[in-house]
Amino acid sequence: MRGEEIIAALKDFLSDDFIIVSSNGNVSRQVFHLLPKPQVYLRGSMGLPMSVGLGLALSQVDKQILVITGDGNFLMGLSSMTTIGNILPKNLKILIIDNKTYATTGGQATVSSSLNYLKLLEGLGLKHFKSLDSTKNLSKLKDTFTTFFETEDTFVLHIIADEDIEKLDNIPWHPIEIKNKFLDRFV
Amino acid sequence: MIDSNKLISYLHERGFTLATGVPCSYFKELLIELEDNDSIRYIPATREDEALGISCGYFLGGKKAFVIMQNSGLAAIGDAITSLAQLYQIPLLLFVSYRGLEPDADFPEHLVMGDVTEDVLTAYQIPYEILYENDWQNIIARAVEEMDTNNEVVCLLVEKGVLSE
Repeated sequence: MRGEEIIAALKDFLSDDFIIVSSNGNVSRQVFHLLPKPQVYLRGSMGLPMSVGLGLALSQVDKQILVITGDGNFLMGLSSMTTIGNILPKNLKILIIDNKTYATTGGQATVSSSLNYLKLLEGLGLKHFKSLDSTKNLSKLKDTFTTFFETEDTFVLHIIADEDIEKLDNIPWHPIEIKNKFLDRFV
Repeated sequence: MIDSNKLISYLHERGFTLATGVPCSYFKELLIELEDNDSIRYIPATREDEALGISCGYFLGGKKAFVIMQNSGLAAIGDAITSLAQLYQIPLLLFVSYRGLEPDADFPEHLVMGDVTEDVLTAYQIPYEILYENDWQNIIARAVEEMDTNNEVVCLLVEKGVLSE
C-alpha cells in the first residue's frame, strides 16, 4: 500500500477524541487532505513530531494523541523515542509509515532498510508495538488497526509502505492559522 | 542565589505546569527542586530541540511549559525555534545558562558559544534578558508578559551563582 492509502484507511478508526500530529512534507499534506480537520500539521520541525505528540499527550490527558510520521522524521527524532519509552503515556500512539525514502525531497534512501524495528521498539521499553509489511500483507491492515486503536496504552505501529506516493497539494493554511483553528477545536 | 522553591512557585502561579530540558550545573538546585515538587512536572529530554517540541505540544494542548538548557543547546534548537515555535507563534520561556564567561575560563568548550550567545539570540530574533538575583520576580514577570502578549519565544540568560552555588 502507498502511504496515502494507509492514512485514508485510518478514517474509520478515528473518533472525535483523536488529535493527530503529522510529520512535515507529504505526511502532513496527506493527513490534511484525507482526514478530519483541523489537526497539528507540522510544516518544518523535522524530527519533532513524536516530541510534539508527547507534549500534547501530557497536557490533553483525556484525549487520544496519534502521531503519524514517515521514517525520515522518525529516525531524526529517534532519541525522543527514548523519552517516550521512559514515560509511556497511555494516550499516545505513533504510526510510522516506512517507505524507506525521503519521499518529499525526491525519494533519496533513508537508512531505514537496515533497521530491525521490532528489536528497536522492544529495546525502547515499549509494551505494545507491531510491524506490518503492507506491500505483502494487505489484508491484515484492518485487524492491525483494530488492535492499535483498542489498546489503551502507548503503542507504536510500524508499517512498511510502497515507495510511490501521490503528490497532494500543499496545505493552504498558514501555520498560524493551523494553530488557531486547532486551539479553537480543543481548548 | 534565587531560592529555587520560590522560583518554582512563582512560575506555577503564572500558569506553568511542566518543565523540560537538558541539565546544566548552573541549574543544579533548580533541577533538584523540580524533581521534588508537585506543582511543576519535569521531563528530562535527550536533546534541547526535543524539549522545545515537547513544550510546543504542551502549549497546543492548552498548557504552559518552560525549557531549561545550557547555551550550547542554542546551537541545537535552530530549526525547532524557527520552523516550529516561531512559525506557529507558540509562546515559550527558555532558561539558558550563560556559560563561557569569566568563571568558565578553564572550560574552553564553552568559550566560543559564550562569545556568541547574545549574537545567536539576536539572530534568532529571540528577546532576552539576563536573570539577576536582585529583582528576579520583575525580570520573570516581564519575560512572561512579553511571551504571552506576543506569542513569542523569550529567553532568560542565567549566569553562575544565580540558581546554583
